[in-house]
Amino acid sequence: MINATKKWIFLKISSAALVPLMIWFLFNLVSFYDKSYSEVLLFFTSQPSKFLFSLLVIFAYFYSALSISEVFEDYIENNKLKNVANKLLFLFAIIVPISTLILLIKLSL
Amino acid sequence: MKDNNPLSPHIQIYNWHISSLISISHRITGIINIIIITLICFWVALLLLGNTNYELIQNFFETFFGKFIIIGTVWSFSFQILSEIRHLFWDLGLGFELKTSNVTGLIVIFGSFIFTTLIYILGRNLI
Repeated sequence: MINATKKWIFLKISSAALVPLMIWFLFNLVSFYDKSYSEVLLFFTSQPSKFLFSLLVIFAYFYSALSISEVFEDYIENNKLKNVANKLLFLFAIIVPISTLILLIKLSL
Repeated sequence: MKDNNPLSPHIQIYNWHISSLISISHRITGIINIIIITLICFWVALLLLGNTNYELIQNFFETFFGKFIIIGTVWSFSFQILSEIRHLFWDLGLGFELKTSNVTGLIVIFGSFIFTTLIYILGRNLI
């Protein structure tokens, strides 16, 4: 299997996973966004919301890294610039979800 | 170093259709959504600072602009969800006919606003 096919399959799996996760999160977001500190904290630290939010962040960054790299492919002509942009994008897509997972664990302690 | 790959047609000389409008909006909302998710991750980080500092965020979300940000977020995610479902149908080989593609495109545009309203009303227990 060539890399482009693998990338396409990963893109489709992550997008299919994101649809129910985004719907679940939107319903919760509108219900807790203006609530007190303790209520918002409870959402991010109790199960299953902690697990589902973690999944949302992981899949969202994975999907975004793959799809934004396609945007770079379409609009950036300079190969050097495209490589730098892709590396920064993938670094960002690793650092932010890991940091968020650590934060969620810390908040739960 | 120059790449020999052809670039996408420039949007300023592109003849606009429903499909091109949805395509560019899908990309724009995708980038906006990842920025929003990053901001939500920062929101989670701010919870570490404790109750006293959190009042600032709570007060912000009670303002008109705060509510606008939330409703805008719901619309942007709704657009992405419906557009992504349209893409998944295309991946199954369905909906490529011009008429069907235009109809599903319109469903994405109008559906995103209906979906936003439904999520907000049901999520806030307004009915």
